[in-house]
Amino acid sequence: MTDLTPITALGGTVARSEDFGVLRLTEQPDLSLASLSLRKGQGVPSPFGLTLPGVGQSSQAGEYGAFWIGRDQWMIEAQGTQDIAAMLKAEVPEASVTEQTDGFATFEISSAGGAGPLEAVMRKLVNLDPQAFEPGAATRTTLEHISVFLVRRAEDRLAVIGMRTYAGALWHALSTAARRIGAQTDGELAK
Amino acid sequence: MLIPHPLLGLRDAQEFTYLGDASLMHRPDPAREDAVAAFADYVFLRDNPAGVHRELWFHEAGDRSWLVVTRDTTTHEILGAELASDVKLGGVQ
Repeated sequence: MTDLTPITALGGTVARSEDFGVLRLTEQPDLSLASLSLRKGQGVPSPFGLTLPGVGQSSQAGEYGAFWIGRDQWMIEAQGTQDIAAMLKAEVPEASVTEQTDGFATFEISSAGGAGPLEAVMRKLVNLDPQAFEPGAATRTTLEHISVFLVRRAEDRLAVIGMRTYAGALWHALSTAARRIGAQTDGELAK
Repeated sequence: MLIPHPLLGLRDAQEFTYLGDASLMHRPDPAREDAVAAFADYVFLRDNPAGVHRELWFHEAGDRSWLVVTRDTTTHEILGAELASDVKLGGVQ
């Protein structure tokens, strides 16, 4: 059998990670994604014990997560490489489920200096109010003309989920912003 | 320019694409006797008001909802936005 080597969206054999001052940018290749759309008139289910979140929100239950992407539509996340679409379809057979994992690349920006530097990066990259984008918030927007999902995992962590073919361009955009903000925070810490 | 999305709040107009007059939602019945004339009007005739205009915008880089946006064509002021499905179906989904 052909011996294949799995690679990440950025082409490496291990996830890329880079530090910029207090900010860390990490590639997350181990997130499985599937979209869930309800059929007309269908009640809101709770797959994997998740409470499917309302407009612009996300939720977590164990190693599963969900975020709102449109009316009666959610993206379901699972840690690790697994056949999430089949698992989700088994949970909610009456809804429409589509595998999304390989269509997307996930990056996380985390800040060792609290919410401030993370919000500074957001201000540079997206036209959203970072302070209104509280922990648990999730939305789709554009970042340097690239369509992305943003999920604020915590006050100091932000997930950026973009199209996999744009992984390199997204890394460039995120790392350029993080480098500038990181350099500023380095200066502040040195004072 | 910011569009007050009824679900998501103020969002950058760059996330949206513009379709046209909101009257496009009212497609004539093709079974009507005068359907040909009605469709000719539907496809080709538009009002071109200087002032308040209701138009369809698609939140393409957002939640992919269609909105009916009320805009003043002389000032580009956005006066309001509603979900097109609410306008068409009267809020009944």
